[in-house]
Amino acid sequence: MLTRKRWIFAMLAILPTLAIFAWVRMYPIADTLRLSLHKWDILSKKKPFIGLANFQELMGDRLFQEALLNTTIIAFGVLIITIPSAMVIAALIFHRTRSRFAGFYETAVFIPHVVSLVPAAMAWKWIFDARLGPLNAFLGLFGIQPQAWLFDPVLSVVCVIVLCSWQALGYAVLIYIVGFKSLPVSLYEAAKLDGASGPQSFWFLSIPMLKPITLYVSVVTLVSGFNVYAQAFVLASDAQGAPGRQVRVLVLDMLENSFRNYRVGYAASEAVVLLAIVLVLTLIQFTLLREKGGRS
Amino acid sequence: MSEAVSEIVAETNEGARLRFKKRAVDRLIDLVLLVFSILMILPLVFLVSNAFKTPAEMLAWPPTIIPADPTLDNFKSVLGETPLLRWIANSLLFAGLSTLAILATSAIAGYILGKFRYRTLNVIFALFLATAVVPFEVYMIPLYFQAQSLGILNTTWGLLLGYLVMSFGIFLIRQNVIHSIPDELLEAARIDGAGELWIFWRIVLPLLRGALGALGVLAFFQAWTAFAWPMIVTTTRESYTIEVGLALFQTGFTVDLGRLSAASAAVLVPSVTLFILLRRNFVQGIASTGLKE
Amino acid sequence: MTIAVDTHAKTFKRGLAKAALLGSVLGAGFFAGLSAASAQTITVWSGYPEMAPFYEHVAEGMKASHPDLTVKVEAIALREHEKRIALGLTSGSAGPLVIELPGSTASRYIENELLPAAPDDVAAFVKDPANFGPFFIDAVSKDGTVYGVPLFRGQGSLFYNTDMFEAAGLTEPPKTMEEYTQYAEKLTQRDANGNPTVSGWSMRLSGGGQGIAEKFWINLFQYGGNVLVQDANGKWKADYANEAGRKALKQYLDNVHVAKTVTPEMPADAEAFERGQTAMFIRESWVIGDIAAKAPDLNYATAPLPRGSIALPTNLYVSAEGDDAKVAWEFTEAANSPENLVWLLQNVGWLPNRSGVDYSVVTDKVPAFGAFVNYPEGYEFFTLPAIGPIEEVLTRLAAQLTNAFGNASLANDDAAIDAFLKTASDETNQILAREDLLAQ
Repeated sequence: MLTRKRWIFAMLAILPTLAIFAWVRMYPIADTLRLSLHKWDILSKKKPFIGLANFQELMGDRLFQEALLNTTIIAFGVLIITIPSAMVIAALIFHRTRSRFAGFYETAVFIPHVVSLVPAAMAWKWIFDARLGPLNAFLGLFGIQPQAWLFDPVLSVVCVIVLCSWQALGYAVLIYIVGFKSLPVSLYEAAKLDGASGPQSFWFLSIPMLKPITLYVSVVTLVSGFNVYAQAFVLASDAQGAPGRQVRVLVLDMLENSFRNYRVGYAASEAVVLLAIVLVLTLIQFTLLREKGGRS
Repeated sequence: MSEAVSEIVAETNEGARLRFKKRAVDRLIDLVLLVFSILMILPLVFLVSNAFKTPAEMLAWPPTIIPADPTLDNFKSVLGETPLLRWIANSLLFAGLSTLAILATSAIAGYILGKFRYRTLNVIFALFLATAVVPFEVYMIPLYFQAQSLGILNTTWGLLLGYLVMSFGIFLIRQNVIHSIPDELLEAARIDGAGELWIFWRIVLPLLRGALGALGVLAFFQAWTAFAWPMIVTTTRESYTIEVGLALFQTGFTVDLGRLSAASAAVLVPSVTLFILLRRNFVQGIASTGLKE
Repeated sequence: MTIAVDTHAKTFKRGLAKAALLGSVLGAGFFAGLSAASAQTITVWSGYPEMAPFYEHVAEGMKASHPDLTVKVEAIALREHEKRIALGLTSGSAGPLVIELPGSTASRYIENELLPAAPDDVAAFVKDPANFGPFFIDAVSKDGTVYGVPLFRGQGSLFYNTDMFEAAGLTEPPKTMEEYTQYAEKLTQRDANGNPTVSGWSMRLSGGGQGIAEKFWINLFQYGGNVLVQDANGKWKADYANEAGRKALKQYLDNVHVAKTVTPEMPADAEAFERGQTAMFIRESWVIGDIAAKAPDLNYATAPLPRGSIALPTNLYVSAEGDDAKVAWEFTEAANSPENLVWLLQNVGWLPNRSGVDYSVVTDKVPAFGAFVNYPEGYEFFTLPAIGPIEEVLTRLAAQLTNAFGNASLANDDAAIDAFLKTASDETNQILAREDLLAQ
């Protein structure tokens, strides 16, 4: 009798959330998969089924390949910069956690993450400006020639990576700090007695024990790296007077195909590819980082 | 006697040296962190300083950090010519409502999925988990046409459509519920005759306060900084969120960096202040989830 | 009993009073509704923010004949404008609209039956040869049916800084494309390291969208080429993998990599011209108004291009029904009144399409308009084809060109240039083939 009542309560309670989920998440995901097999130009009422034609075209699409390449480089670039730096910075902040500066450090590190994307990107756009930006002024002190940061095909990608890392670091550092706080102190004391130095215990103790956190941070960072859009949009916006080189990323290509070329089915197939990539990478990360640290 | 004394002296010296070393290391770390923190904030400092520069000074080389000739003109023209305040209001409303929706759905779903062991719920949880990995941008377009057919484009409801639930939020609460709410507590309440709803409202929610606080901050900033979705949902100038408004500020024929910086700086201040106030909340909340798994 | 009857009576009276009140409220509402119906609102959607004052001016002018008409003008950036039209028209939720669209983009809406044909009186107005030349009538029609009303066009001409010309010893604007490069070399100002500080000729080298391809087409056209040409059957194919294309591209590469008169990161376009950071550039007439506003002391002049120019007709279409449609079409006709068009030319700078209007009030005062309005005999025009995939073709070409412009190794390698043009034009043809538009 009681359990029946409980079951009803559980089902009723979860129903609204489930309904919303189905409506705004599951249905659109299924719809994307469905659309990728059709041809639709937003305006017409006809949506003919074309099977895998979109995917076939996608494979040979030069712009898609460029988008894929850029996005992959950016995502991994951000990952490679963020994880080690975040771990080190978090370790340092944790070391000084009892000092009154700890709060300041945490705030300073996290602020880039919470400021609106666009103002932040504007700030960096000015910093990178070839003629007016302080970066070139700073490099000039070392005798380095002013670079066209936002126009060079390679450097413009670097700019996006720098901007994204700057924003991603804060979140990663905070999570790692929490991680450090929950590590067993006794292990470290034991290591110290055995003669281990600070950096040594960091390398051999902290890093392995932080594996679950590293897994979480790396999945989140990599996935959001693949979804980069706002940063590329702002840094290379096509304002006539001060354009930058448009770094073509996947989401940008998708939206362009959808709303500029009026090819929603084609854009959906791109979305499906993006999804597949994200799923595969997540799986890989889980296998790599879960193996040993499963039960800590 | 003197040997013992010299040993003690040696130990004290050793102790002093170690303390000195520790302090030196601390100072060094402080220095590194200080430099790093400054570097992190520097771009924003530039932004604020640019907001006060005259157009002439914007073109000066090398660029200055403190404007030599500060002016409020940029702010005046931005506030006068663009619906900046309207955009901020749009963003605030959107972020606020989204936070409420996410908190509500995550709290109840997290609780049910965490404390009620039924097979159906496992299936549901698996579904939530599976969709958690899917990036929003992937299914953004069909969701957009949903909004269009409902006629809610250019409204707060349209914006909310993509930000009503957060898989991570459900996950977070569930973790929290499992780790910090003992089953015995709930059973005791049930034996005492408390209804399920009462238990949720009076026992579970208060215990989740920390996690809900952290989730609230996360959800708020996720909506506040959302870009791609508001970009496609809003097409009239009045309905832009602040992100979209600022980004489209510069697709006219010319770019006025000073005014742009002023607008950006004006938006920056509430974000930063809000975060500084909520930071402790946030960190504690994350910590309370026991992010081990 | 009496009490009950009284109560009944009272209730009855109260009920009657309520009914009367309700009735009169409803009646008043009904009549208010009737008169409210004549208080109409139409919305004007434009992709050019600088046109907003013009539409408001037109609305002002209509106040006398339509006292209850409210006109809301919403002008946003072009890309966003195109998007909102695509989404607004298909959902049918946008209310009565006057939509400003280039003829080439409007075609896909007309094909999908999302824009209604113009009513007969409006069609007659448009087809009247005294009002519009055949080029503009064509731009608003499909298979002989008129769907919109022409308004203005974008047309390119050369803008050049007369002070800088004088300083370089040049007395006349360049007349051939070869002269453009020669002039650019003479006009470029350099710093101690030989890097250009003021570009001789500001070319469109970067930025998103299709602008690069459009500007390339203008140059290409001077050499006799075209991005797309139509055959006798109404199909299209790419026409730039040839000598004209090679010359046009080579000119870009020469200026960027060999003569180094311009680089992508230098300030470009109207803003650069107004700040004296470039000596000449090719653009549409709106720049005249922009210069008047932002750099009134600039000494400049305009000149027609060697062979001809792009002419992009932008028209007004109406998406509305019934009474709203009538008012909306009246707006489009009012926008074409001689007084309004002269105002347009004078205050905004885009070129009105209507013939038979005396623009001398403006052109006399502002000689810069001369190059746009008084073009030489035999001047040729081209426009963007009104086909569905036109944006995609141009956007992809723009992406290709951006890479080419940055590739220094192409500069002196004719074979490589030809290979590049072949790849790009194959891609263009592929898109056309996909949409069943490729000429055989």
